Amino acid sequence: MDLSPIQSALSSKSYSTLADTCDELMLQVASRGIAYQEEWPFDVHLLGHVFANDLNSARYLWKSIPQGIKESRPELVASWKIGQCLWTRDYAGVFDAIRGFEWSPEVVDLVTAFSENYTKKMFQLLNSAYSTISVGDVAHFLGMTEDNATNYALQQGWTLDSSSKMLTVKKPKMVAEQKLDPSKLQRLTEYVFHLEH
Amino acid sequence: MNGDDEGVVGAPIGDDAMFSDGGSVDDPRRPPARAGKAPAAGGEQMDVEAYAALYTGRTKVARLLFIAERCGNEGMQLEALRMVHDEIKRGEDSHLYAEVVAKIGGRLGSQYDFDQTWVDTVDRRAELRKEKLENELSAYKTNMIKESIRMGYNDLADFYYSHGQLGDAFKNYVRTRDYCTTSKHIIQMCLNIILVSIELGQFMHVSNYVSKAELTPEQLDSVTHAKLRCAAGLAYLETKKYKLAARKFLETGPELGNNYTDVIAPQDVATYGGLCALASFDRTELKNKVIDNINFRNFLELVPEVRELINDFYASRYASCLAYLENLKPNLLLDIHLHEHVETLYLEIRHKAIIQYTHPFISVDLHTMASAFKTSVAGLEKELEALITEDQIQARIDSHNKILYARHADQRNATFQRVLQTGMEFERDVRAMLLRANLIKHESMLKTTKKH
Amino acid sequence: MDSVEALVAHIQGLSGSPAEVAQLHSLLKQSEDTLRSQAARLAPFLPQLDPSAHTLGYLFLLEAYSSEPNLREQADIFVSIVVEFINSCSTEQIRLAPEKFISVCKSFKDQVMQLQVPMQGIAPLRMALRKIQTSSEQLTPLHPDYLTLCLLAKCYKAGLSVLNDDIFEVDQPRDLFLYCYYGGMINIGLKRFVKALECLHNVVTAPMTALNETAVEAYKKYILVSLILNGQVPSFPKYTSAAAHRNLKSYTQPYVDLANCYATGTFSEFEACIQTHLEKFQSDSNLGLVKQVLSSLYKRNIQRLTQTYLTLSLQDIANAVQLKTPKEAEMHVLRMIQDGEIFATINQKDGMVSFHEDPEQYKTCHMIEHIDSSIQRLMALSKKLSSLDEHISCDPAYLAKVSSPTTESTERKWSMEELSLWLVFSVIFYDSCFLNCVSFYLSSQFK
Repeated sequence: MDLSPIQSALSSKSYSTLADTCDELMLQVASRGIAYQEEWPFDVHLLGHVFANDLNSARYLWKSIPQGIKESRPELVASWKIGQCLWTRDYAGVFDAIRGFEWSPEVVDLVTAFSENYTKKMFQLLNSAYSTISVGDVAHFLGMTEDNATNYALQQGWTLDSSSKMLTVKKPKMVAEQKLDPSKLQRLTEYVFHLEH
Repeated sequence: MNGDDEGVVGAPIGDDAMFSDGGSVDDPRRPPARAGKAPAAGGEQMDVEAYAALYTGRTKVARLLFIAERCGNEGMQLEALRMVHDEIKRGEDSHLYAEVVAKIGGRLGSQYDFDQTWVDTVDRRAELRKEKLENELSAYKTNMIKESIRMGYNDLADFYYSHGQLGDAFKNYVRTRDYCTTSKHIIQMCLNIILVSIELGQFMHVSNYVSKAELTPEQLDSVTHAKLRCAAGLAYLETKKYKLAARKFLETGPELGNNYTDVIAPQDVATYGGLCALASFDRTELKNKVIDNINFRNFLELVPEVRELINDFYASRYASCLAYLENLKPNLLLDIHLHEHVETLYLEIRHKAIIQYTHPFISVDLHTMASAFKTSVAGLEKELEALITEDQIQARIDSHNKILYARHADQRNATFQRVLQTGMEFERDVRAMLLRANLIKHESMLKTTKKH
Repeated sequence: MDSVEALVAHIQGLSGSPAEVAQLHSLLKQSEDTLRSQAARLAPFLPQLDPSAHTLGYLFLLEAYSSEPNLREQADIFVSIVVEFINSCSTEQIRLAPEKFISVCKSFKDQVMQLQVPMQGIAPLRMALRKIQTSSEQLTPLHPDYLTLCLLAKCYKAGLSVLNDDIFEVDQPRDLFLYCYYGGMINIGLKRFVKALECLHNVVTAPMTALNETAVEAYKKYILVSLILNGQVPSFPKYTSAAAHRNLKSYTQPYVDLANCYATGTFSEFEACIQTHLEKFQSDSNLGLVKQVLSSLYKRNIQRLTQTYLTLSLQDIANAVQLKTPKEAEMHVLRMIQDGEIFATINQKDGMVSFHEDPEQYKTCHMIEHIDSSIQRLMALSKKLSSLDEHISCDPAYLAKVSSPTTESTERKWSMEELSLWLVFSVIFYDSCFLNCVSFYLSSQFK
């Protein structure tokens, strides 16, 4: 079984397209009637979906894996744990799942990249969803100790009220592109023409 | 002559026997003057005597019976029943008499026990009269004189009416129709039918016959006109069309006076009209048709509380307005026509008050507003929430600081949103349509190939 | 025996040019019976042919082979042969005998399912589908089979690549029913509820003379998805068939009850309603979807609060939505913020949530692109509609019925008389569905 597309994706760290590569390759391999399941890198496949935040596909993939394979591959189970926590929105559980396993060298970069991504996304969520939040909760959501969490937040410009242990959020300035293309004018003329006829 | 209520205008017409106080018999057992006034739970206790004095005929009896049933206060109940008894004994309705005596149940002493002799006399008299009338009617019918036949039916109907057989009364009044020759006859017939229908609760007939009466070619005199307006108003009130009811009552001319006390008192015109108007008119209509209405002012004079509360509402003195309403409530609940509409009307008025209160402001402090409307802040929040959800108020509540902020929708945003939404729907619908057209084309092709 | 060998020789010889292929085609058609009678012994002959050069011949043999009654025993061989064939066959040649190609693919799908390896069939069927389609807008009988395999193998995303094409040409209405129904299921699985609703809507409102099972099942899911998306179930549009109008609701009573319960909005009643019909939902495999409807009820109630309040305490939210603790309310709100379903910020210090207006300014480049592409799509659709309109008005059968004295073929503007005449004759000649299509289009012209 030629798994080179997956391996090259892993080594080139193009993690966002990893899941699609895996999907397509799996279909091709299956169509040849090969019993691919023993050798198939399900954990990489699953983690690819998790990285792309496509939890539906991750779930369906997990459901289609035979029970025997699930039981014999602890790394696969650990990968699914991450996906499961994301699905049930167990925000802190994701970090526990990431840290609670010794990842093999094949996937450790992928998992680390995902972890960093996730932390950033969580922080963005907290930024947009909260105006004030307790230090404990920030630590909980970011999977850090309270001190680390506080430092992280302070670095991003938040302020701390140490008496009540509350952090006040500082919203980043949103800059959205507003330039207009000359080709848009062309398009506008087309629309008017169309409406006239 | 009457009780000491607020200056009744005009002398009541009708039999002398209509007067409630005094009465022909001086009953030593009769409780002293203001019997109806027992210590009240809140608001002014209704003065049953004074109230009953406003009416004549069967409506007086009906109203008193209603009060007796609903007042929940034994003193008032007995007072009402006593007056009913006295009233009925002056009339000819033996069945109703028996009912009332049963209701009294001996609580008012031997004078108010069942008088079999009276009943027998009345019944015998009735029998004789009926026979006489029927004979006369057949005689008229053979003679074929229209006017006599009409009067014959009319008298028969009157007879049935006074004996409480309303169905037969109705039938006979209707029969006079074919023999009416002048507009006056028609109007008389219509008024009679309206009277019976109101008591029977058949307000569709009321509306019908009001229209019939108004269609007569002759110009109606102002009293009849006013009567018809009131009847129409009552019909609308019954069918919950409060705005139309208000308009009818407001159009009633002051010539009504006490000419229609066998149906409605002028005080009622003020009350019904005023409350319905408050609940259903907007500010402009309220000003034009009620406050600036000179004719209606005459009626409002009779019920100063209603006049005051309307003015308070218009001048945004809501606490005072609501206080008046609360005071009037117990008595209104005892009114035979209004009782089932009181809650709805009050709720409407309250809502209108709230909406009007918030209208001119960008922000309103809920504490102040709650005290103006005599409610708690939490309760007020709930009321506001309901009104905002129904889109009657455009505002949002800051529950943290307890402030209501007016909200002006962002038109530009809303337009863009609508445009995108419409585009999406159009796309979806056209795609589906093209698909269906294809399917049908396919089906019809099959049909044509089958044919050939 | 001889005849098959001879046939094979012919195939090898006559596959050079299109003329030769045409000749071969008629030969093959004449030999169909022979092939069928020798079905069991055809397998060894196949390796003698090249599937890409001798596609047509290979196809005939393969199709005869697939009609063999004991195919199951050789299922895996058959399957691998077909996979190879599909990958290498020539598109022009299979289009000469499309029904045979489709028949082979259907046998393929049956065998794949019988072997319980649906995933094996997905890539081949996808390719087969693309090869036999005359345009990406055409629905082939292979479409529903393809989606069936995707559903069975749980490769939902694979189904999307085909579902994303808009379909405008349909040969067999039955295919459309199944395709849209499965399409609805795949979209539901991927939580693309808007698309799912479109698919299911097409099934429910398709022209039909009598109710079929697919429509009933589709309507059940339609109700549930409508509730999740919009909180209510729309009434049938005018163009729905009479059969659907009359009967659909009676076959789906538990779902209709659920929809009525949802409208009143109290959780306890809704949960009680679910409990009453629990078995029915389970046996219809709709229980998961029903649970999603329940959680949408929480969301909708919170969204209603955003219309009335600027700020609200977490405790009040919990009370209003019937959650147990303010922390639960906070988590619900956080989830909704994450999904972009409301715009709000949580203030933990005061235990309050502030609701905001949609911050979208409709000024960004991204939004302009979005609006732009919408307009492009709409223009393309309008062009399609115009061409359909022209096509119909040139249809001789239709023209024979129209006897308007003032028809001016050059003028595209319609006078009121022509419009009313056309509508009248449409009613007589075509189904009311088409009438609605026409009147919609024409009314948009008049706006």
